[in-house]
Amino acid sequence: MAKVTIKNLYKRYGKVEAVKGINLECEDKEFLCLLGPSGCGKSSTLRMIAGLEDITSGEITIDGVRVNNIHPSKRDIAMVFETYALYPHKTVFKNMSYPLRIRKLSKSEILTRVQRAAEILEITDLMDRYPRELSGGQKQRVAIGRAIVRNPKVFLMDEPISHLDAKLRAHMRGELKHLQKELSQTFIYVTHDQLEAMSMADRIAVMNHGLLQQYDSPHNIFNQPANQFVAGFVGDPPMNFIECILTVEDGWKLKHDEFELSLEDKVQQKVQAQTPQFSGALNVTLGIRPESITIKREKTKPNEIAGQVYITEPLGSDLIVDVTVGQERLKIKTTSSFEGDRGAKVFLEMVPDKIHLFDAQTSKSLM
Amino acid sequence: MDPRLAKTLKIIAVTLFLLWTVIPIIFLVASSFKATGDIFDLPPVGDWVGMLKLLFFFKASFTQFRNMFIEGPFFTYLGNSLLATGLSVLISVPLGLLAAYALSRGRIPGKKHFYFWVISTRMAPPVAVMVPLYVLWRSFHILQTLPGLVLAYTTFNLPFSIWLLRGFMDSIPKELEEAAYVDGRGRFRAFTDIVFPLIAPGVGATVILCSLMAWNDYLFALILGGRAAKTIPVGISELESATSILWGQIMAGGTVLIIPMIILGLVIKKFLVTGLTMGAMRG
Ligand SMILES: Nc1ncnc2c1ncn2[C@@H]1O[C@H](COP(=O)(O)OP(=O)(O)OP(=O)(O)O)[C@@H](O)[C@H]1O
Ligand SMILES: [Mg+2]
Repeated sequence: MAKVTIKNLYKRYGKVEAVKGINLECEDKEFLCLLGPSGCGKSSTLRMIAGLEDITSGEITIDGVRVNNIHPSKRDIAMVFETYALYPHKTVFKNMSYPLRIRKLSKSEILTRVQRAAEILEITDLMDRYPRELSGGQKQRVAIGRAIVRNPKVFLMDEPISHLDAKLRAHMRGELKHLQKELSQTFIYVTHDQLEAMSMADRIAVMNHGLLQQYDSPHNIFNQPANQFVAGFVGDPPMNFIECILTVEDGWKLKHDEFELSLEDKVQQKVQAQTPQFSGALNVTLGIRPESITIKREKTKPNEIAGQVYITEPLGSDLIVDVTVGQERLKIKTTSSFEGDRGAKVFLEMVPDKIHLFDAQTSKSLM
Repeated sequence: MDPRLAKTLKIIAVTLFLLWTVIPIIFLVASSFKATGDIFDLPPVGDWVGMLKLLFFFKASFTQFRNMFIEGPFFTYLGNSLLATGLSVLISVPLGLLAAYALSRGRIPGKKHFYFWVISTRMAPPVAVMVPLYVLWRSFHILQTLPGLVLAYTTFNLPFSIWLLRGFMDSIPKELEEAAYVDGRGRFRAFTDIVFPLIAPGVGATVILCSLMAWNDYLFALILGGRAAKTIPVGISELESATSILWGQIMAGGTVLIIPMIILGLVIKKFLVTGLTMGAMRG
């Protein structure tokens, strides 16, 4: 267990800038997720923490010790690789016990630790197999097993469950989170799956193009996204974005060809705090999550927006309705009781305090 | 095609191929166990029973071997052959492993050019470098010595072993070593624990090929080895003189020449279990 700090971290591969100045602090016993799309530099960051990649510039400390020039074997970390990296010539048991044998633990201690890890991961009956005799999901669990038999300062995991099937993945999400709390260890976990990050992490570091976009709790990432990228990356189905104009001439209002929306006082105060000298008009992007729009067949309130059903996507108890409003296409999450076929006329109401506003130019949040 | 017919054809083809390759060897081995007079005791054309007798049922005699090894100098030649081959392999393969590891994993400036230079030394036929080597060896006073011969074999075995082993090394995913680092191993132990077992089949193949090249060599042994470091191939060539050709001993020499390589092949075959890396990684 240990605190990990990352200061001004850069990584260049030749001409490619993979990581461009990241600052992070991962508290002791914290579950930190590095979240971002493919190629954003998550693995590079993790590999620098592990010591497998040279640090172009910046500093990493583990437990207060600067580790920039410390070999991975001396950092006291355990890592689960994106590619499993199981030793092909060793059985599952030998794979999982390898780090323990290196540490010269007693035979019985090794046996109990491997057994416990195998039970958690439900791979007790695979102990004598070779990696080539395992399915992808089994390999991934063995790879996790090889890490959790140990008691390192930090666990590093690079998309450890991304290749399991949906059901096993859901199971493993719970198991890993439980494990982290039970071991009470520092976890740094890389994923491109926002659901994984949201459901498991204590804090999420959202990355894009090698830059840290936001570093906060899942709750804040979801409810107060720092910019349009974070807002659009987290949440499923993703947030709807609509280009509007914000005016203050006759009260704070969002204007769009198809509708006009008065800002609630609370929202207005937040925006005002962000843009103190604002007056006149500003190009903004309105963001609203699919679950923050209500959809009806009849117009009941004056500020409701008229639209047409484009298509419906039933998801069991939920229903996603794609609605066309002028040139825009919006996704709305409602219950399966909603009835409305393709082309049906509908009316939308945005939950007033659930809207997000982003500067159309910088895409930074205005709230 | 009818699968049974296909199978029959396959068996016939394999049998023919076996006869083609094995009969000369049987002939060689059989002849080396015959008394000098019996070797050319050939049956008339068409007498197949006579052929079988010629190959398998004959009066065994150790005359040839006795003449070579007890009365003749072939014991020394065998020793020279074994020493020159063994030492050259013992030098070439471990050094090749180290160099291949550096070339495969290290970040060395100009590594590509160095690698090309290494393999380019193997592109010219050995005869081409014979005269320069001769002059060099003479200057270093290692002409016609066993160490000189070992060094000569190493000059062509080492680049070959670097080239071959690097190929095997490159096929081992870097993540496996990285996993070993994270698990607590330094570079050297990660190599011995993980990389080496995985390329063991490749190392075995390299040992065999390097041994073969040195063992079967005639040119270097003749010119650089000379009188003091005669090997079996050189010894055999001397059995043919202006006045006579000692066919019996030539056959026996041939038998002695192939046996160690067959043993080596059988021993190493056990380690040539390939396909180990399969399935360790994703994708
Ligand atoms: N060894 C390398 N040499 C050159 N470029 C590299 C190397 N490793 C990564 N990159 C580049 O650096 C960038 C970040 O890569 P990285 O592997 O960190 O992304 P990632 O966020 O882990 O993506 P993914 O989700 O696909 O695994 C990418 O543009 C990638 O092409
Ligand atoms: Mg990655």
